[in-house]
Amino acid sequence: MSTGERAYVRAGRLVVLIALVVYGAGAVERAAVDAGSPPSAGFRAGAFDPPRGAPDFALPATSGGEFRLSRRLGKVVALAFGYTSCPDVCPTVLAELSQVRARLGASAKRVQVVYVSVDPERDSPARLRAYVEQFDKTFLGLTGSMDQLAPVWKAYGVAVARKDVPGSTPPIYVIHHSASVFLVDTIGRLRVMAPFGTPVDDLLHDVRILLKE
Amino acid sequence: MRTLAALSLVGLIGAAGALAQDAPIRLENPWVRRAPVMPDSGPGTESRAAGYVTIVNRGAARDALVSAAADVAERVELHETRNMSGMLMMEGVSRVAVERGARVELKPGSYHLMLIRLKRPLTPGQSVTLTLQFERAGPITTRAGVR
Repeated sequence: MSTGERAYVRAGRLVVLIALVVYGAGAVERAAVDAGSPPSAGFRAGAFDPPRGAPDFALPATSGGEFRLSRRLGKVVALAFGYTSCPDVCPTVLAELSQVRARLGASAKRVQVVYVSVDPERDSPARLRAYVEQFDKTFLGLTGSMDQLAPVWKAYGVAVARKDVPGSTPPIYVIHHSASVFLVDTIGRLRVMAPFGTPVDDLLHDVRILLKE
Repeated sequence: MRTLAALSLVGLIGAAGALAQDAPIRLENPWVRRAPVMPDSGPGTESRAAGYVTIVNRGAARDALVSAAADVAERVELHETRNMSGMLMMEGVSRVAVERGARVELKPGSYHLMLIRLKRPLTPGQSVTLTLQFERAGPITTRAGVR
């Protein structure tokens, strides 16, 4: 196992636990809905109830310069994680987020989509930029070194595990990762976690709630 | 004469319809996800795109998708994404079985075609040619729009 791989596994183990806790919170919220006691905001995806401060971070942005989450107050931030060599899950999430923005019309300018790489070794800023901007020119990709990215994955409970593709020459790896979308409200609080497969209508519904607050 | 022509036209359409109906495997709603051609950054980073289609087996026997090709890619692999409690995992598969009378959807987050080493960027509005190879039914070609 290479050093990089070990780092992934370490980060992965740590964050799997957190991911489970976060998912648990979502499940409790959904159970509350089923039981007939709607959460205060009426979100359709998993809600953080009560809301908690979104872990702040700063990373190099594909648009140039640094992105710092706490400087985006006033906008709803949709935060997602993935990598450019991922043809199925990652483009699906980005396409769904672009549909959400398209359907918001003029208020889309108050929604910032931020896409954080889970593949620091291969996701150069140029690759990530081409990848995210094909869906929407306003999407920001964030990439950096393992040391810069791993704490962000951990803070959001995003599980990341690098896996070698058997029999590939030269050796190729894929990355197993959680693909939830996090919604951060206009005052910097973590409000919603939408697991992969959440209908676009539900995402749009929840973003609209945050824009109206 | 005109009646005869009309009759044979009806006959032809009927025959074409019968052929389509008799085809054991039908492909529905084929499409390919958009993809840019990005600068290479090592093994596994050649540009790729996912292809999706619904396979309907109306034949008398089970069949299986065993390989695929696309005009815009150097090669195509069959892949499956699995969702393990929110962790998304992608793996190659050697075949996708389609039972008699079954519909199997290749769709995001599930089975999909992985088009590898694209010859050009794929942008919405374009279309690509996919050829799906079935164990019993043989090759079936379809045009898939880029979305």
